[in-house]
Amino acid sequence: MTPPSSLTVAGSLSLRAPERPAAARPTTPTVGPRLSASWLAAQGRLPLAFMALGLAWLVLATAMLALAPAALALPHSAPHVVAITHAWVLGFFVTIATGASYQIAPVALGTTLQSERYGWWHFGLHAVAVPGMVYAFWRWDMVLLGHFGAVFAIGIILFAVNTWQTVRRSGQRDVVAWSLAFAASWLLITVLAGLLLSLNRYWNFLPLNPVALLRAHAHLGLVGFFITLLQGVSFRLVPMFTLADVPDWRSVRVGLWLSQLGLLGLAPALAWQNGYAAAIFGAAILGGLIATGRALQRALATRKKRFVDPGISAFLRGGATLVLSAVLGLLLVWPTTPWGSAPGGFNAMVYAIAVFAGGLLPAVSGMLCKIVPFLTWMRAYGPKVGRVPTPAAGALTNPVLENWGLNLQAVAVLPLAAGAWLLSPAWLAVGAGLLGCGVILFTADMLTVLRHLWKPIVLTAPPAPNRTRP
Amino acid sequence: MTDVAPDTAAVWQALGTILDPEFGISIVDLGLIYSVECTDGNVSVVMTLTTPTCPSGAWIHNGTEEAVRRLAGVKNVKVELVFDPVWSPTMLSATAQQLLGWSSDEVHR
Repeated sequence: MTPPSSLTVAGSLSLRAPERPAAARPTTPTVGPRLSASWLAAQGRLPLAFMALGLAWLVLATAMLALAPAALALPHSAPHVVAITHAWVLGFFVTIATGASYQIAPVALGTTLQSERYGWWHFGLHAVAVPGMVYAFWRWDMVLLGHFGAVFAIGIILFAVNTWQTVRRSGQRDVVAWSLAFAASWLLITVLAGLLLSLNRYWNFLPLNPVALLRAHAHLGLVGFFITLLQGVSFRLVPMFTLADVPDWRSVRVGLWLSQLGLLGLAPALAWQNGYAAAIFGAAILGGLIATGRALQRALATRKKRFVDPGISAFLRGGATLVLSAVLGLLLVWPTTPWGSAPGGFNAMVYAIAVFAGGLLPAVSGMLCKIVPFLTWMRAYGPKVGRVPTPAAGALTNPVLENWGLNLQAVAVLPLAAGAWLLSPAWLAVGAGLLGCGVILFTADMLTVLRHLWKPIVLTAPPAPNRTRP
Repeated sequence: MTDVAPDTAAVWQALGTILDPEFGISIVDLGLIYSVECTDGNVSVVMTLTTPTCPSGAWIHNGTEEAVRRLAGVKNVKVELVFDPVWSPTMLSATAQQLLGWSSDEVHR
């Protein structure tokens, strides 16, 4: 590029970028005082450590499912089902989501993480507690579960306090800040409720159906942590990755608040098995998801990066499936539904597969496709910018592995759901096999990216401009 | 013998080799460089980011300074990061627009 020269003032030659309109010329240069702090927070090894642990759990949890696919034909309170569910939820989803929060919260809020040391303590406690909890569920050893659950809870307390303090010190009170604070709070409540449930299995002090309590616990985590987090941070991440604006913050706020209000009613309604109340509050959550989806759709319509990456596509597909899953959940809790969710009913498993494999898995995997290359780039190539040619973050991935990995994970949902619905071990085995293949390819792609931390490539010339893949 | 102080064209060219990590497009084509001034080897760059919360902003800022400093004849480098005016898509070059997937009608509009 050869910018045109303009004028010489007092011996200096000044040039301007040719495409910039006159109105965009800089006035008084100002540097955001909080900016450098947020940058520093983003450079940490902490989120990458969580990502690596989460990927290990993804492989392990998939292996558990592939070795025992028929478990999904059992009632969802069966020990092996509970163990596999916690391997997926605590091992993969929570590990990735909390690790990503350590990266996203400071960036989104324009501040530093309150305490990286707390974050590392959380990592250590989490790494020790989750395997113990999954093993305890598998063996149905409630005493062991209580011990490891307490260790896990301490880690989550550290995470929640860290998040609250980070939000507080940022001074931000927008919908993204609220979503981060709410999500951390609901995660803590979910874990404490889970501990209460395990104690109740031992001492039986709550005169309520354990399966109904299990459902309430599951929805506290699902809606309270994951959906609440997605309803906020999506509006920082998606615009950042697609060069989009958020023209409809009102819908974002409505979406978040409807979900919060809905969950406040849904959890007790599920615990006390009041179907109508559960349906009404579930409808509020569905309304919240629709408002969030509408706001995200409007944001994407403004995107300047026209092509949508496979990771963003998977993320959006996961979000859409979560909305559809909410409709399915409403049908299941409606009291007059003939195939409704009686305690131990098998249809709830189809709903769970839709939520976890159809919704959360692509949403989290899709974001991993964006976050892991970015974090890796920052550590492996960030310090080299301006010194030697550096690749783009997207160039660290293997597109074939990424596409096949994400697509096979998506395809696996149908046979898994069919198998759970028809109680067919054959369909479940097909679904688990496809999921396993998808996870292997996806993990191989992530390892290809992470390898740059130890073996960065050396470019001798600036890479060709990267046309974004369609 | 001393190096000849670089002119602004050399500085723009050096900055054009720095890619934004997310979009794989040079920071010049993205319109992140607002101005370059050279006076007797003292180089002043005013730049911005697509968003104030850009997580790779520190590296882009540092890299900009480093790329200029490495030019022969440069004595001092000052890179100012500003958010007034805020970056907007109107600052994208035609090359950047094409790389982001804009149609030819949009690019030439």
